[in-house]
Amino acid sequence: MSVLPWPSFLDDVKEKGLRRAIFEGVNEVTERVTAGMNLQDLREALRGEPASRKPNPRLQPHADGFWLHMRPSYFHKSVTGIYPEFRLGWLSTYFVFFETITGIFLMIWYTPSPDVAYANMLAIMSNVPLGQFMRDLHRLGAELMVLIVFLHMLRTFYTGSYKRPRQFTWFTGVILLICTMFLSFSGYLLPWDQLALWAVTIGASMVEAAPPEIVGETLNLLLRGGPDIGANGLLRFYLLHVLAVPAILFIFTGVHYYKVVIHGHSLPPGEENIGEDTAKRVPLDKRVYFIPDVLTSELMWIGITTLILVVFVTWFFHAPLENHADNQITPLGTTAPWYFLWIQGALKLGDKVLWGIIFPTIVVVFLLVMPYLDVTRSRRYASRRFAFTVSFILLAGLVVLSYMGLSEFGVKTSADSEVLHAMVMEPAHNHMGHLRPVPFDQLVPGQYTTAQFEALPGEESGVVASFNEEIQDNGQAAALLAYLQNDAHLGVSSISFVPVPADAPELEEALRTFYEDLEANNAELHNAWGGVIITDQQDGLRRADVVIVWDSVQIEDGKPVFDANGNPVLITDANGNPVIRVNGQHMYLHEDSQYFAAPGV
Amino acid sequence: MNLKRELIESIDGRIFVGVLCFIAIMILVGWIAINEAARMTAFEGQYLARSIERGATMFNTNCSTCHGIDGRGLTGRAPALNSPYLFGFNYLADVDRQIAALQTEAANSATTDARKAEIETETAALNAERDAIIASLQPAVDKGYNPEEPSRLKNLGWGGTLRSFVETTIISGRPPSESYWPQPMAAWSQTAGGPLRMDQIEDLTNYILNWNIGDAWTVEDANAVNQFPIVPVDPSTVVSSDVQTIGVNTEMPTIMENLATVTGDPQNGQVMYNGALACAGCHMTAAVAPLMEGTMTRVTDIRLQQPENAGMTAEEFLATSITHPNAYVTPGYPASVMPQNFADRLTYQDLADLIAFLETQDQPLPPQ
Repeated sequence: MSVLPWPSFLDDVKEKGLRRAIFEGVNEVTERVTAGMNLQDLREALRGEPASRKPNPRLQPHADGFWLHMRPSYFHKSVTGIYPEFRLGWLSTYFVFFETITGIFLMIWYTPSPDVAYANMLAIMSNVPLGQFMRDLHRLGAELMVLIVFLHMLRTFYTGSYKRPRQFTWFTGVILLICTMFLSFSGYLLPWDQLALWAVTIGASMVEAAPPEIVGETLNLLLRGGPDIGANGLLRFYLLHVLAVPAILFIFTGVHYYKVVIHGHSLPPGEENIGEDTAKRVPLDKRVYFIPDVLTSELMWIGITTLILVVFVTWFFHAPLENHADNQITPLGTTAPWYFLWIQGALKLGDKVLWGIIFPTIVVVFLLVMPYLDVTRSRRYASRRFAFTVSFILLAGLVVLSYMGLSEFGVKTSADSEVLHAMVMEPAHNHMGHLRPVPFDQLVPGQYTTAQFEALPGEESGVVASFNEEIQDNGQAAALLAYLQNDAHLGVSSISFVPVPADAPELEEALRTFYEDLEANNAELHNAWGGVIITDQQDGLRRADVVIVWDSVQIEDGKPVFDANGNPVLITDANGNPVIRVNGQHMYLHEDSQYFAAPGV
Repeated sequence: MNLKRELIESIDGRIFVGVLCFIAIMILVGWIAINEAARMTAFEGQYLARSIERGATMFNTNCSTCHGIDGRGLTGRAPALNSPYLFGFNYLADVDRQIAALQTEAANSATTDARKAEIETETAALNAERDAIIASLQPAVDKGYNPEEPSRLKNLGWGGTLRSFVETTIISGRPPSESYWPQPMAAWSQTAGGPLRMDQIEDLTNYILNWNIGDAWTVEDANAVNQFPIVPVDPSTVVSSDVQTIGVNTEMPTIMENLATVTGDPQNGQVMYNGALACAGCHMTAAVAPLMEGTMTRVTDIRLQQPENAGMTAEEFLATSITHPNAYVTPGYPASVMPQNFADRLTYQDLADLIAFLETQDQPLPPQ
């Protein structure tokens, strides 16, 4: 007889005693949560013992539970090791969840509007405990995910796992690769810094090339939300990043997983007869059950992978954050994200439509239909020499095109601009100007020149003194002074260089690099010498003017013209004197700015 | 069953490694969390420093042509920002505090007469010190600084902070200042139609506020200021003088006729050029306006050789350029930047003096 009008736990207590009632309650809840395994079953599984009751309770969660119904209940022993799959597919999935979780934390602190997005970044960095940690993890995960998904595709190709009956699995995999790249790319824009704006501007401009013109323009407008990326563009990229592309990604991840369960994991090529697919016919003695072996393995790998990522963001990796996005200032050396460099490189080959649109489309379409074209049956390495050769050629092409995509390749700025840029550039792409990391106390106010490196050690002051006289006589000092006062708005009244003080070795080192850069460009920058003029601006703030003075030479197609003797042809004025050119850039340095070389550089 | 080629082959090994990894993650995250406060503070300092650097760059390009590259203002053009006055530094505060303390002591009934006499001597000494400080500030006083009222914000009746004062000034500029500066300060914020974003205005503000050196302001700092702010004058209190100015609507032939009746004094012209008229404020930087140096050479060698100026004398060209600046705009410079109202501010004598001064600027042109 129940103490309450309905059957209750208290009845159980009355009937069996408290201990037993609690144990049975917990046991039942466990069995329901795991969709079939009670406490005893779990204990046995985790101890590595065989199941003690029949039917095998470890198969039950695969049949009745949601999460495990998309995982096979057992694997062939040959596919559970590192080889042949290298866990790349599993890692890809890991990153999908990893990015979702870290992304949700970042979403809490982010508003997709150009007015506040960058301020949100600063707040995440300066005012949110573990904010930088989450941002670094998300960014690192994004870069790695592209890499891992790509490697997973390569692995699938080399083991021939795309072949019948797994063609469609490959097809969905290519879609997932595209989703991954676009997710990573659309996330680039969200911090709304210079890196973001210009990388995405370059990427989006490829869309503009789509023929015919009306289509390209319309697509471009749709994607950017205006002629330039602004508030509309940022919101669109945000929605693509957090909503549209993830939705497609999750759907296709489901399809991809379903296909893997349906067809089984393909065995290492050598273990099957040619043309056979035995993945679904696993002999009893080759079965490795998901619970507990694969499950514990995967849980361990979650721990290992996450630990590696955490170690990286603790010591070796920080997500870059450059200056606020500015449509007016194009940074020198802008590139697309690394996984799109191959397209940027292809664009340098010529026509924008051909290389920016048609070529990538052909690549993607080829990848999608490749398993339907390659109908050879053998998955053995030895039988696929032709396919491997083609793939190595394509990979080499990918590397070469990516190299060509770098700003170092094929983009020529005038030598003076490049040398100046190398001295003062703001941190970007893991580089910064040579002068920037010089400690504040070594930036002793004064005027220094690269001419001091013409001297033998110990004779610098004499050489610099005679250099001062020389430039007074040939008018270069006057030209420099006029430049500094009128163009650079610098409050100096005379030019008088001195050797770098002995207690400023890092300043001297930066100046020496400057000297070497000028020497390396001595054809275009004829008779060039450089100066670094450091002045006090405010308490704790100094200004460094980096200037180059040289004799103008004739330039054709960005290259200096040489005479018969191999000397550059000078431009002279009416009196036959060389025309003096002056160019410079300046930067301000605050004592607390903490410019360090990026980790690992 | 043990796994083939698995990294850790036994199940307890895997569980052990997994648990170890999770513990390591927890320790690392905990370690990061402990350091977060310090890291966030460091980031803030670093960010402020870089913000000041960016502000300095913008100040140099956009603001220094009026406020001076050292921020000490340009005479007749715009006030100093690198100035103890903006930051409200009181040179007399220390002395005044000591005097006040002595007065309080003297007013106390318990103070003996002997002590009162002593206080009187001390007060006299302090007052002498006070006068000496004021005397040492004489160059600044000459330029309009009042050591007794040393705070710009207080004099202005500004209720907010100094930061909000600087920030709002940059955002919306100073449109009505045209009546007492040669031209108004433009609105710089995009919200007010200017070119700068809010984060850039914050950078500029950070740079300007970084001029504040707290208690370290010296007398030299005040004396080095070129221009102090001008307090607007109530137009109704200005007594119109009998001085007959040229008038902006006067035609050139009339001006030339009247100009012939006076003789110019180049020295007086120079004083006006650098002072009251603030010509020098712009014509000192080639990027803003044609340089003062070589004006006469350029007029005779270049301007008068051009067909549109044919038949003009140098005097006529200069007079036209001052009274009707848009009649001829030097190539490479925008029109309507030079104030159009000089004819309303100048007498014929003033104009003749200015022209006489400019005629002395016949330095040879720099080689092109």
